[in-house]
Amino acid sequence: MKIESLSIRSSTVAIFSMIGVTAIVLSLFAGTYFKQAALDAQIDSLSRVIEVASQEMLKQVKDRTFDLGMKLGHSRELISTIDTGRPVDTNQLVKLLDDPFVNGFVGFSEIDLEKIRVYNLELELIGESNTGPENLGDELAVYIADIVTNRKSSDRLKAIDALWMSPHGPLFSTLVPLGGLRPVGYLEIIVNPVFNLPDIGNITKTPVRIYSMSGEQINTNKQAITDGHLPVEFVLHASDGTPAFKIAGYENIDELSREMDQTQIVTITGFLLLSLSTLLFALWLFNRFLFAPVSRMITDMEQITHGKLELTVNNKGLREFHILADAFNSMTDQVRMRTNDLQRLLDLDDSALACFDHDNDAVYFNEGATSLFGYASDEIIDLDSADLFAEDISLLLKDAAEPGISQQSSLHTQLSCKHKDGHVFQSDAIINTVDVMGQSGFAIVLNSTLNNAQEASTQSDQRLNVVEQTLSNLLAFAKDNPGVMPGLGGLGLEDAANAESGSQKSQLREYVVKIMNLALTCWEHDLGKTKLELAEESKIWPVYIDKSTPTTRTLDKYLNIDICPKNPRSQRAVDTAEFVLREAQQTTGVKCKELQDELDVFRQLLSGIKTRGK
Amino acid sequence: MFVHSFTANFSRSIIILVSMLFSSAINAEQKPYAPETIDDVTIVSAEQVIDMILANPEMIVIDSRKKTEYLKGHIEGATNILNTRLKVEDLKQLSPDKNKAILFYCNGSRCLRSSDSINKAKSWGYTDLVWFRGGWKEWTEKRLPVVTD
Repeated sequence: MKIESLSIRSSTVAIFSMIGVTAIVLSLFAGTYFKQAALDAQIDSLSRVIEVASQEMLKQVKDRTFDLGMKLGHSRELISTIDTGRPVDTNQLVKLLDDPFVNGFVGFSEIDLEKIRVYNLELELIGESNTGPENLGDELAVYIADIVTNRKSSDRLKAIDALWMSPHGPLFSTLVPLGGLRPVGYLEIIVNPVFNLPDIGNITKTPVRIYSMSGEQINTNKQAITDGHLPVEFVLHASDGTPAFKIAGYENIDELSREMDQTQIVTITGFLLLSLSTLLFALWLFNRFLFAPVSRMITDMEQITHGKLELTVNNKGLREFHILADAFNSMTDQVRMRTNDLQRLLDLDDSALACFDHDNDAVYFNEGATSLFGYASDEIIDLDSADLFAEDISLLLKDAAEPGISQQSSLHTQLSCKHKDGHVFQSDAIINTVDVMGQSGFAIVLNSTLNNAQEASTQSDQRLNVVEQTLSNLLAFAKDNPGVMPGLGGLGLEDAANAESGSQKSQLREYVVKIMNLALTCWEHDLGKTKLELAEESKIWPVYIDKSTPTTRTLDKYLNIDICPKNPRSQRAVDTAEFVLREAQQTTGVKCKELQDELDVFRQLLSGIKTRGK
Repeated sequence: MFVHSFTANFSRSIIILVSMLFSSAINAEQKPYAPETIDDVTIVSAEQVIDMILANPEMIVIDSRKKTEYLKGHIEGATNILNTRLKVEDLKQLSPDKNKAILFYCNGSRCLRSSDSINKAKSWGYTDLVWFRGGWKEWTEKRLPVVTD
């Protein structure tokens, strides 16, 4: 794609569209991430809630085991069994330790008591209850033993709690001094925490599943789990840091999802509405301050480019456009002044100067020529060389171009000139070939001072060269600005360089002649008037007096395809047809109807040609 | 007449009740701390209490809390005498020797009972007074041995 084919408007709209699409995509992404972030936060939050709940659960267990430990730790029977100074009566000790399993204790239903063991002050196992697992080993859990060992004096009286890994899985122990402030040993209360783990769900008010670290489900609470529940896993570690249990808490995210969806819709919609309204506002601003001024400037510039040098570009706009418009206007002024200067130079010359295009149609007359031939300047556009000279100029030029006849760049000859009033006079002429709109035309300089060949001095040649150069400059400028020269304003010549222009020109000529003939027929038949009256009343066509007889020489050309100008003034044909139709409004003649139909077709043809020309 | 008197009394009662409720709420909000120190009284921590008890088994320990609180758990060897019920005779009976060490405690730093008891004992001429300011709260937080009855 060529960049020239892209307009600022389409580029801006494309950029804004991209921004809009990006905004939509980003908002959708943001919405998704927002939802995920909210879920992550919820999971993180629930994970911490489970952690706190598990600590609370362990605290409750701890309180119960401590109470039991204190009760037994101050039991005189137990103390006296240990503190005898003799070997311990094992049977008596076991009996005392089994008592809570048999007779119960305060909080019996709140913990799952597994074992009660007694150690001496050196932490050696003295005895344990018969109830409970047998193979827990003879030693205190390493974690607890390390703490006790590292404590000094009174600190050893403080109870120690620990979740530790036994051969039977994780167990919870509380170690208290046996004998109160004057201990004779230590008492270990061992409970199974699995019994209390579902309390976590009761604290968090959510369903929980308890799994061993191998993944086996070992407990659950009563609350039901639905599809709307999001599992949140939390690992409960033993006191030494070993993973002990996997606790899966289930958070009901139905409500959360609903609210998040609602928030997402509101947020995205709001964001998009805001973005789009901002974009639309920006687009409106662009249109108001950029597109519209640029479009206006382009229209003005195109008109000026096509020869309407009297126009100025509207400079109302942003600073840059204002400067551009002013610069363009200044440049146009300079071009206009230069063109006027060139034309004035040619008008001031003593010679009569006429320029013709490739089709022998007149494109330029200076003032000397219009006064010499008696035509008004606006009449020259309907003239060709045959109207002005008896000789065939093209033939003369062709002959002169043959080798051996003349080596001069210009042709010096005498021409028989036809005045507007019909009389013929002789004049010396110099004919030069010139470039007219990229094609070969010719310029004729007629001057009485050229009668005497001896007077064609070097000075005169130099002057003629300057005139020729000036004319060439004017024609070169007119090549891009056909409106500068009255004879170059026709549609056909604008497209002369185009390959298609030949057939278009031919079609145009045919239609012009057809329209003109239909208009004349309508005029004569429906209105009963003459061709001369058409020329006089319409004021579109000049009426010439030829030997005291009024003639419509130009109009006649437009009625005959053979003599119709190569570049007919189509607007004249349209104006004539419209004039006739206007005059024949009251009548309902068939010819007028036909004229109307053909005029419509002709307008479409003109419109099509102009569109392609652009 | 009777109705009017009854209505007036009832209204007064309501106002007093509401005032009491408000004042108790305000009191709860603004419950004062026990003094940081009491002149001529030794303040000790839980560990120091144990050391003192073990070093001096005859030392008198007075629990200044309510009876119900005492029954739920107390320091081994402590005697329960509520501060408001503490009389010089009771103290004389426990420790005829006014220079003998007596340790007081209650619920903790926001409990004024033990400090009140100490001030009383001080006013009665007891000289070796020991105050366990952290009280029961500190004792149980450190998971030290307790006796429940």
